[in-house]
Amino acid sequence: MDAARDRCVTGIENLDNILNGGIPRGNTVLVTGSCGTGKTTMSMEFLVHGALMGEPSLFLSVTEASDKLLKNVIPYDFFEDSLIKKGKLIFIDLPVVYELFGMTKGELDFEDIDLLVKAIADIVRDLGIKRLVIDSITSVCYQLRTEEKIRQFILKVGKSLSEYGCTSILVSEISPSSERYSLYGVEEAIADGIILMGNLQRRGDLLRTLQVVKMRGTNHSRAKYVLDLTPSGVLLVPLLKGGSI
Amino acid sequence: MSNTSVGIEELDKALMNGIPEGYTILVMGPPGAGMELFAKQFASVNEQSVTYFSTNERTGDLKAAMKKFGWNADINVVNIGTKYYENVLARKLEISRFRQEGITMKDIRQFEKGTYKEINFVTFLTYEISKLDPPFRIVIDSLDFFFENYDHHEVLSAMRTIIAHIQHKGGVALFTMLKEVYDAKTVSGVEGMVDAIIELERDREELEFRKYLVIRKVRNYPDKVKILPYSITRKGITPSL
Repeated sequence: MDAARDRCVTGIENLDNILNGGIPRGNTVLVTGSCGTGKTTMSMEFLVHGALMGEPSLFLSVTEASDKLLKNVIPYDFFEDSLIKKGKLIFIDLPVVYELFGMTKGELDFEDIDLLVKAIADIVRDLGIKRLVIDSITSVCYQLRTEEKIRQFILKVGKSLSEYGCTSILVSEISPSSERYSLYGVEEAIADGIILMGNLQRRGDLLRTLQVVKMRGTNHSRAKYVLDLTPSGVLLVPLLKGGSI
Repeated sequence: MSNTSVGIEELDKALMNGIPEGYTILVMGPPGAGMELFAKQFASVNEQSVTYFSTNERTGDLKAAMKKFGWNADINVVNIGTKYYENVLARKLEISRFRQEGITMKDIRQFEKGTYKEINFVTFLTYEISKLDPPFRIVIDSLDFFFENYDHHEVLSAMRTIIAHIQHKGGVALFTMLKEVYDAKTVSGVEGMVDAIIELERDREELEFRKYLVIRKVRNYPDKVKILPYSITRKGITPSL
């Protein structure tokens, strides 16, 4: 069954192994964790690898200006300037889209949601986008305010993206003590997959961890991995059990 | 000390042979009462450099109306109405187009290149007035534009600054404002700040309007308060004493 569904290879070696070959194409995955756990970095790597494989990839930035984000990826061994010039790796600041639609009053209503979803879907269709990251969905949720609207937005975005065969990552920010995977609880319930990123204190070290909690359409390991951010990208190794934590 | 004309001979006589430097007049009335005409008459006085802030009329129409009465139309018009259209309304039109038709990557990149910034016209007005060198004569026709689009507090506070500047520099000014539209706090705020208040009133009698020019407030001259009937003649607003 696993083989039946086309995979979106993340390019992060061990993550593809954990997922039995990659994220099932068209899935909407919530990458969630507190700050500094490597969510943005890993999502960006997912896009860069996609672009290198010839898949047009789009980064929708809500919290940070995209030119600033770009500076962070340049040091990577595998990054190529030409990806941007050739339009394989595309950055859009979502606040620009808000401005174009005159959504500057704070809270968005149901009509605004439809417009936003349509705008994203149109761009994905027009440019043939195969990978999309929204960083962060939590910031979008702040504008939506209510659970119904968040549900509406994620469902509609997820549906239209998957129709175009686009695999998407929604970055979600949570507090370290949170018992949920997302701020509003709605996001995690609708997403096709959840990748949880965290910090783990061990023998005086603060380790970054990654765990695939859920992924529709594939078997996967649910074990906790240690994540290392290196110039050649994200490295994942199994978290060795035992010892004193 | 020589006073300066308000542009209406009979009214000059009823006041202090014109008005002193630093004076601010508020003209109030219902729509169609002739406040715009009054404003133009005031602007036609050629004793200072004139700056006319227009919120509703096109500059060409404004000057043509002045010329029609044979008045001096060599004035500086700052057209806030036009600027508002270009800055805010055109933007609103564009937004409705995007909302109707959707956006493309091109629209996004286009927007990123531009440096659109919504102008605050209260700040703009205050700034434009602060740049004027005395002797100057200002017309703001009308305050209604500002009350419609901005918080009343913000407008009143800007007016206080503007009026203080006019007093300090010895300019003269005329503001127009609709009557019976605003809450008591706003109205008394404006009325308290200006030096003179003139209301345009009209009654219907059979098939005719009777028009009155009500001098309601003249700072330090309570004896000047009076009612003058007026008609519109070739000279513009013409009160009979």
